[in-house]
Amino acid sequence: MIWQQLQSLVGSYPLALRGLGVTVVLSLISLVLGTLLGFGLGILRTGGNRLISAAIGAWVDLIRGTPFLVQIFLIFFILPEFGIELDAFTAGIIALTNLAACFICEIVVAGIRSVPTGQVEAALASGLSRWQRMRQVVLPQAMRIVLPPLVGQYVLLIKDSSVVSAIGLTDLTRVGWLVVQRVPNGLLVFFLVGLGYFIVCYPLIMLARRLERRMGAAHGEVQL
Amino acid sequence: MSTASLVSGTSFSMLENFSFRTIVEYLPLFGQGLVTTVWLSALSFAGALAVGIVLAAMSLQRGWLFRVPAKAYIDAVRATPLLAQLYFLYFGLPHLGFVLPELVVGILALSLNSGAYVAEIIRAGILSIPRGQVEAGVASGMTYVQRMRLVILPQAFKVTIPPLLGQAIVLVKDSALLSLISVSELTRAGQLLASDRFMPAEGFITIAAFYLLLYYGLKGLAALSGRWLGLQPARSST
Amino acid sequence: MTASPSKNGTGMIEFRGVNKWFGALNVLRDITLSVEPREVVVVCGPSGSGKSTLIRCINGLETIRDGDLVVDGQRLGDPATNMTRLRTEIGFVFQSFNLYPHRTALENVTLAPIHVRKIPRNEAEQAGRELLAKVGLADKVHAYPAQLSGGQQQRVAIARCLGMRPKIMLFDEPTSALDPEMISEVLDVMVAVAEEGMTMMVVTHEMGFARKVAQRVVFMDAGAIVESGTPEEFFSQPKTDRSRAFLSKILRH
Repeated sequence: MIWQQLQSLVGSYPLALRGLGVTVVLSLISLVLGTLLGFGLGILRTGGNRLISAAIGAWVDLIRGTPFLVQIFLIFFILPEFGIELDAFTAGIIALTNLAACFICEIVVAGIRSVPTGQVEAALASGLSRWQRMRQVVLPQAMRIVLPPLVGQYVLLIKDSSVVSAIGLTDLTRVGWLVVQRVPNGLLVFFLVGLGYFIVCYPLIMLARRLERRMGAAHGEVQL
Repeated sequence: MSTASLVSGTSFSMLENFSFRTIVEYLPLFGQGLVTTVWLSALSFAGALAVGIVLAAMSLQRGWLFRVPAKAYIDAVRATPLLAQLYFLYFGLPHLGFVLPELVVGILALSLNSGAYVAEIIRAGILSIPRGQVEAGVASGMTYVQRMRLVILPQAFKVTIPPLLGQAIVLVKDSALLSLISVSELTRAGQLLASDRFMPAEGFITIAAFYLLLYYGLKGLAALSGRWLGLQPARSST
Repeated sequence: MTASPSKNGTGMIEFRGVNKWFGALNVLRDITLSVEPREVVVVCGPSGSGKSTLIRCINGLETIRDGDLVVDGQRLGDPATNMTRLRTEIGFVFQSFNLYPHRTALENVTLAPIHVRKIPRNEAEQAGRELLAKVGLADKVHAYPAQLSGGQQQRVAIARCLGMRPKIMLFDEPTSALDPEMISEVLDVMVAVAEEGMTMMVVTHEMGFARKVAQRVVFMDAGAIVESGTPEEFFSQPKTDRSRAFLSKILRH
């Protein structure tokens, strides 16, 4: 019986590959967009404008305070009511990008705040503009704090992409769900689905740990 | 099973027709969903603590016999999505002859998943205690158990409270996934309103508001505990 | 209370009736002070007397509540004053150096010239090397701050300011964070800068430095300028009880 199931699973191999492809592409696009947006939001949040800062803070809290599944439903079912028709893939990218941006924003804010005020003052005193201070002095030093949790965030993003299967997108998780209807061995099917995610996520987890150790070690060398 | 059935129905009511009346009508359903979400999360968190303490103890052992399986489990959980883990149990347990109610499967999945993260928090808490504290305990002739109970754990307990509350926030949000295996919790209530009456806005905005309520409650608690324990404001990784 | 204000406001730095509060605390009280071009003024006083705040106001690291502060002919807080442009004319040396830890000594010196002054990179680097040689660090051009001693870091910080070719140099306790054996190497560089005719305000307790190059010593206490005069006057005949008490404390060592 297990032999038949395995044969049947092998037959699902192209479908599984497509599912993995969807998961990877979905995650990758959201990761790039989310990182750009997250850095932008983080920089704006630490900028001088209180109104902008408060607005970003409120939005981030809203996103952090609600389940991602509910966010996907909101985007997928409510945006069409405003005349914006979305397919599941686009809705998934919007939801994931927004989620990633909000969490990355917080990471970037923590990084920027970790840079000693003396550094900003030194840059200020030599006449560097706001953007130059950020680009040349603050961000390079903030990256030490930002990088490990940023990579950790990418792992969360890839895992969260599985939730997009709930609106019918045929990603890796959805493929498992489809296959298990034909091959009723949930343990085997979802073990293989899990393995797919593990292969993508585990190296990133290792990288995050390594960065954390390296950055932690570098920390001691800072002047004074 | 899944909510893919919702996909077929497109553009229903415009937002101008946002019906507070229907929300009020469905309020008992939302209330039930909220209560279910709260107690199933509480139960799962208790389970996660139990799993986490055992895993943390195992992963802190010198010998590989306990340490390696614990670390493998933690890594496996961290590198795979909760939804896949949930389906693994939901479709897998019957295959092994365990036919359990969806709710029980859900609580099991949340406990086993969160337990791995709780283990990491506890481990980090214990390792954050300076080596000198252990040495002081050794120097005054305490046994391993005495050192743990009298010196290490009371100090570690303090630093783990804020991140544990952060994990509780994650758990409450994660519990929304149980709606995908038909557990009648808060998100499920929103889905019902969305599909029965074709009112996704009313359904999902209402439950989002309820989740925010829980979020701010737990966040406030985390801040309070931080102040109460004399720690820095909690920066949890939720 | 008044420290020789210039007659018609031709000073490089002009404080006129400046006040500043931190909350309820009056950290600068009715400061009136004029620093002439090429003049070197040493500011001293007990900790918390407002001396650091005083010089931090000059390049806008602190803002003033009322009164006028005119630097190089431009009034601070005036919307017409381009603060970023003005700051390029003012070098500021911090107590804790504040070198950029992710950049080498040379990169610390050339960063602002390249990005603010828009000087071509190779020119800026040439000038940077010369400046580092001038402060005695020709062999540390590619060292990172963490690889330098405190005295060396502070000399890089001074070179970093000089790289902008400023009209004014401000020093905020430049030797307070240094081990005793490193103080003189930094003071020697400061003396050299002063002797080239730089307008300088230096918050320091190094009285040897004051005697050597300062035209004027200003003594502050509780946010106000209590006394001001030539180093000889100030050290040999302090006029107030507070300055006498202060001098007896620092000169004992």
